[in-house]
Amino acid sequence: MDATLIQLLLPLGVLQLILIVIALIDLRKIDETNGPKWMWVLIIIFFNFIGPIIYFIIGRRT
Amino acid sequence: MQWSTIFKKELTEHWRSFKWIWVPIVFIMFAIMDPLTMYYFPIIMDSVGNVPEGATLDFPTPSVAEAMIMSFSQLGLLGVLIAVVVSMGLVSKEVKSGVYELVLSKPVSFTNYITAKYVAALMLIAFSLAVSLLVGWYYVNILFGTISLVQITVSILFFIVYFMMILGIVMLFNSFLKSQGLVAFLSIITVVILNVISSIYSHVITWSPTLISDYINMYFYSGQLETEIWFSTVAAVAITVMCLVIATITLKNRAID
Repeated sequence: MDATLIQLLLPLGVLQLILIVIALIDLRKIDETNGPKWMWVLIIIFFNFIGPIIYFIIGRRT
Repeated sequence: MQWSTIFKKELTEHWRSFKWIWVPIVFIMFAIMDPLTMYYFPIIMDSVGNVPEGATLDFPTPSVAEAMIMSFSQLGLLGVLIAVVVSMGLVSKEVKSGVYELVLSKPVSFTNYITAKYVAALMLIAFSLAVSLLVGWYYVNILFGTISLVQITVSILFFIVYFMMILGIVMLFNSFLKSQGLVAFLSIITVVILNVISSIYSHVITWSPTLISDYINMYFYSGQLETEIWFSTVAAVAITVMCLVIATITLKNRAID
């Protein structure tokens, strides 16, 4: 692993982190979700990248 | 006046559901994923690939144009999917939940209602596309070589026109269906059919809007804009306007019922 690789991958990691954080904030604010909330917490945290997207697409109920 | 009211309401709603953050981020990931993995493919294969001892694998490094096209084609597939999903409930959800009647009990014209929603969605998608492709361009510049800023800007603008038409189609299905899932499904089917037809008859219907991405690819290879891309652009704008007009009329008729 050279330094450039880390420099190139770091932004990806940061973006992923932002995605997870805003998904969790949204989950906290929202009244109702499709399915239990604790399940969505697990999905958002453990399914990298895909988890937060799936939450935003089908998890939110408004 | 009332147009800007609906428009602002749409923008704040997109903001509250974090669409202005997550859609650009997801698009950025789509845009840089392929160039990155292609560049580091030999290293990835070394560490996970179980390459037999002594075997040498020669992977040709993709050219600058090929790398940049990867970003575009990834967004052309998954980006379209996200764009459809983001806009599938714009009208249909409000009709179902009754918000729609609440809005239209005020003196709001159907045209304003549709166009304000459409422009708000288009702004979100256009912003996401521009940001993600510029980030993709930055990565390609570091890893593969240079592409001029003019070239990438022109390509992004034409790509936005393509998405403009897709959002128009989504709005059309929004106007007469109540189920969000059905809206998304039918929109994607329509886009796929349009793509298949125009790639089969690409030499006949050279003005097909779905060929815009093909022309962008050629632009990256040759550095020269095809004349046909302008016809495709005109066709895309025409289809968009048609979709929006039909959507407005459909909503009007539904209100009378």
